[in-house]
Amino acid sequence: MTAEEFNLEFETIAPPLKSYLLRITASVHDAEDIVHDTYLKAVDKLYTFRHESSIKTWLFSIASNIAKDNQRVKKRWVEYVTDICKQEALGNKQFFQEAMQIATTSPHGAFEIKEHIAFCFTCISKSLPLEQQLCLYLKEVYEFKVGEIAVILDISEAMVKYYLHVGRTKMIQVFDGRCALINKTGVCHQCSELNGIFNPKQKFQEEIMKIEMARDAEIVDKEQLFDLRMQILQSLDPFNSGASAFQLHHLEHNRVVMEKYV
Amino acid sequence: MASIMTQAQNGKAITEKTTFSRTTSVSTTMKADPAIIWKLLTNASDFPRWNTTVISIDGKIATGEKIKLKSTLAPKRTFKLKIKDIEPQKSLTWGDGQGNRVYSLKMGDNGNTVFNMTEKIGGFMFPLYAKHIPSFDQSFEQFAADLKKEAESIEAIKK
Repeated sequence: MTAEEFNLEFETIAPPLKSYLLRITASVHDAEDIVHDTYLKAVDKLYTFRHESSIKTWLFSIASNIAKDNQRVKKRWVEYVTDICKQEALGNKQFFQEAMQIATTSPHGAFEIKEHIAFCFTCISKSLPLEQQLCLYLKEVYEFKVGEIAVILDISEAMVKYYLHVGRTKMIQVFDGRCALINKTGVCHQCSELNGIFNPKQKFQEEIMKIEMARDAEIVDKEQLFDLRMQILQSLDPFNSGASAFQLHHLEHNRVVMEKYV
Repeated sequence: MASIMTQAQNGKAITEKTTFSRTTSVSTTMKADPAIIWKLLTNASDFPRWNTTVISIDGKIATGEKIKLKSTLAPKRTFKLKIKDIEPQKSLTWGDGQGNRVYSLKMGDNGNTVFNMTEKIGGFMFPLYAKHIPSFDQSFEQFAADLKKEAESIEAIKK
């Protein structure tokens, strides 16, 4: 593969790679740094690329290794991360002022419930052990096959399946207990609360009926609800959407809060 | 112990009693990679999720470590056990002064894995308290069935 061919491929793969890294690290800065480091490392090692896997798998492998090193020195978050961060936000006037500023001035500053669902998953998935979090994103959001994930993470297919199963089961359990969108007794209503603040004219019930996961919550099983949640993540690029500026600001707030908390 | 392990097959538990000891064993064949079964057997905090005979296990399953186990067989008791021996993906032994439990994995036919769990309890004082210890048979069968179900459902994940 020539350098020009590689650069063209990299441009196509960079956006999903960057969003994957954002979801793993919850840090725009780290995600951008790792994409940059991945490019440099790939260019340096391009002569070793033998087309035994796709270039996408190869790049995700390099990026995942760098991300693992980056994340191993950091503590994992907790599954009630959104409760902790909400409490911190309520006592932080500057956070709300900045959020309102973004909401009223940025072309990417809208508050959208779907984007918040994806943001929420990013935060809570950081409570999983790192291997489970990586496997879950690679399979459920970026649609790699088990064999490809085994190559990316340099583990056996059996271990990929184990991490996937345990991670998925844990996330289903957490969201079933927390998310009021899918369970009437769920304890978290943050998306409706934020929608009330940033979209005061919107009727929340009408809005959530547009989201299949919430609309079908009572008629499909928990596994299917999780698949629908994953479809929301698949459909969104956290760096390029109507709500990206708003959610990235919120994510940075949560990252700072959690790095102090854990 | 070897003979009882050979007899205990297809998820049916067998118990052998002597004056000074009691040994219970169960074996079952699983359509699952031994790495998956091993991971399930050594992730202490994850046990209650898939194993209906375990209420909780606190601690780390690694050689020399101590764990605290609460079982549905005696929910009010906490068993303080030592991890005595580990041979990755082959055998795991934990126990206390009264006995040992050995989990073992062997390659079966057609890529299957044969799981065995055998526990021997006893000692000179055993005849004095033997009648107060409930049968392990049902709990062992349930343990093996839960493990088989969980391991096979993980193995069945689409590639």
